[in-house]
Amino acid sequence: MAELGRAALVLSLGLVVYALVGGALAAHLRRRRFVLSAQNALVASFATTLVASAVLLSALVRHDFSFDYVAGHTSRTLPLAYTISAFWGGQEGSLLLWLLVLTGYGAAAVLLHRRAARDVVTWAVPVIGGVATFFGILLVFVASPFNTQLAPADGAGMVPSLQNPYMLAHPPMLYLGYVGLTVPFAFAMGALLSGRTDERWIVVTRRWTLAAWAFLGVGQLLGSHWAYTEVGWGGYYAWDPVENAALMPWLAATAFLHSVMVQEKKNMLKVWNMLLVILAFCLSIFGTFLTRSGVINSIHSFTQSSIGGWFLGFIVVIVVVSGLALRARLPQLRARTKLESPISREASFLYNNLLLVALCLTILWGVAFPILTQAVRGETFTVGKPYYDFFLKAFGLPLLLLMGIGPLVAWRRSSLRALGRTFAWPALLALAVAAVLLALGAGSSGPGMIAYTFSAFVLGSIALEFVRGTRARHALGGETWGSAFSSLVARNRRRYGGYVVHAAVVLLAIGIAGSSLYGRTVERKLSVGQSMSVRGYSLRYLGLQQSKSANATETRALLALGGRAHGTLTTGTNFYPVEQSSSREVGIHTNWLRAEDLYVILDQSGPKGSVFLKVLVKPLVNLIWVGGFVFVLGSVVALWPDAREERRLALRYAEGVPARA
Amino acid sequence: MVALSIAAVLAVFLLYTALAGAGTPSLSPSKLAGHSGRVSLSGNVIGPVRGDAHGAGLRFGLRDIEGGSKTTVPVLYRGTVPDLFRANRHVVVDGTLRSGVFVAVPGTLVTKCPSKYAPAKTSGNSDT
Repeated sequence: MAELGRAALVLSLGLVVYALVGGALAAHLRRRRFVLSAQNALVASFATTLVASAVLLSALVRHDFSFDYVAGHTSRTLPLAYTISAFWGGQEGSLLLWLLVLTGYGAAAVLLHRRAARDVVTWAVPVIGGVATFFGILLVFVASPFNTQLAPADGAGMVPSLQNPYMLAHPPMLYLGYVGLTVPFAFAMGALLSGRTDERWIVVTRRWTLAAWAFLGVGQLLGSHWAYTEVGWGGYYAWDPVENAALMPWLAATAFLHSVMVQEKKNMLKVWNMLLVILAFCLSIFGTFLTRSGVINSIHSFTQSSIGGWFLGFIVVIVVVSGLALRARLPQLRARTKLESPISREASFLYNNLLLVALCLTILWGVAFPILTQAVRGETFTVGKPYYDFFLKAFGLPLLLLMGIGPLVAWRRSSLRALGRTFAWPALLALAVAAVLLALGAGSSGPGMIAYTFSAFVLGSIALEFVRGTRARHALGGETWGSAFSSLVARNRRRYGGYVVHAAVVLLAIGIAGSSLYGRTVERKLSVGQSMSVRGYSLRYLGLQQSKSANATETRALLALGGRAHGTLTTGTNFYPVEQSSSREVGIHTNWLRAEDLYVILDQSGPKGSVFLKVLVKPLVNLIWVGGFVFVLGSVVALWPDAREERRLALRYAEGVPARA
Repeated sequence: MVALSIAAVLAVFLLYTALAGAGTPSLSPSKLAGHSGRVSLSGNVIGPVRGDAHGAGLRFGLRDIEGGSKTTVPVLYRGTVPDLFRANRHVVVDGTLRSGVFVAVPGTLVTKCPSKYAPAKTSGNSDT
């Protein structure tokens, strides 16, 4: 079986090398049949990679411990779902998943778009082939998942902390996002290399970018929720390099999603869009590099493997090649239109982009700081939470405000007076909310007040947009209110989907501000029968229980809740004798009325049944997870296929007709 | 105008670096001697681990992970102890050196998971 897997991978590598070399040559020589053969090679490489993946999957499921990989990451007692998740639980398997998703995306993108954007696709194929070649080389020569050994009786098993339902969803989501950014990158390069530098590559890859971006966002939220409910330290994001590794490409892609609209509408920011898509792609490779190289101290640990250097080299190659391609087409990309006014839709997109990229680059600076200081000063310095928190406020709060302003400002130019008219209601709402919150005592945190006021403003302006649009349709066509609303959204999916995503981000901002700026933490030692109270919740400690499960000793403190909550809550630790490790099993009581969590950690159990509890009240934290669902909803609305749009585009990009914005 | 916006962003960045300084030095135990300010110390836990983290304080030693230096720095720590903390684990802790003892900032002890590979969000995300 392993031979089949190995052979399939070698075949994949051969096919993607052909897509790279043959595809580039064919595109250069403009030989139609040759070009097609390179495209077909890319499609075929998906089939062979699928075979290799099937071999690994079946080896996992059959507990074939003659595979090094299977023996190293699973055991006979591991439940089936986690056995499958071991596919991406280790280095070799996750590289294979990268290649599988990449060739799958590549094949789909080629087949879907080779009619509508022939020239671009012709050159995108060798680019995708090049990226796939990198992963193919790693899989065949450096980190093969098909190394075999004399089968041991049982495998090493999976780390207990990975045996978690989130393991089934969080890593694949992130991979779908990371890899998905390859498609817009490849099409951008295709546009540069073919000289078809109009906005066609953007229009064609719009949904690809959106999907990749949505996957990245959902993947991260899942990871945050995993950390929050299972890891049990009381937070959901720690500004760790590995977390930042996923946040950075997401921020760059967010900037890209916005700035492409300016290019589509106004034919501006062409160079900037190229830079953004290159940045986003490089950051997705850099993210993979960070998690693989061990070069930066992270509290998440990974194998300090030898493949880190390969990734760094690959990033250098990407930067050099795309930089050269960009330079060659620079005269063609120069904007012919100029920004007319600092108060216009274009300008607000520009501010949004600057802030997003600034946030992204300051995070990158923070992540790279230890390496840079080591190189320059010979001593390693790290920046911590205060650094990141500062910039999240400095750049994040203006971004939040812009989310309410940008979508409602007119294209080309607007005046302050027009702005005043447009925003009178949302601004009034925001001020009212601010006054109420001040009266309720939210003034204890300045940034929190600002975040809440801005949030109210943005939600107000989004609601106003929906109301205005629906009212206009209702007045126009005599439709009922309900159908006016649904046809409004259906006819402008991208716009209204975007608003829904904005609302999701506002919920996220409210949740983050509430839980991080208005939270409360109390640590207390309790003996049996004693109680404590925090923010209107009272907790009475009833006693300690111990039980044995299949692989762990479970210690639980039983608490009776009172005040704002009723019932009982357990919190404790599990001790795994085989792995000699323990894990916290926190107790969380959710008060849905206040979207608030009472979060109880059993920090230590002392002699005579006394316990040391750490109790956190996290106001509004659940809005973050609610925001996640709204985020998915908005993304789906924006992604939903639109036949009308397709027809319009087909007309606009009919072969031979020069495209014009 | 674009230039102006970029300048504003840069100014915010420079302002921060000027006001807040530039990061905490990360040191290994053998390099600690002579540093009086706050540093982030990373090393291997050397037993015996004694005391009560919620009482008078937990006491243990830290030694370089690599290089074979035998310098052991005594550490005094109060606050939450991560799940995976025990002798021979790789930890990172912030604090200052005071007359030969590294006095840790409460609640800054973080362990690195010894597992072979753990994707984001899983291993020693024990503390912040």
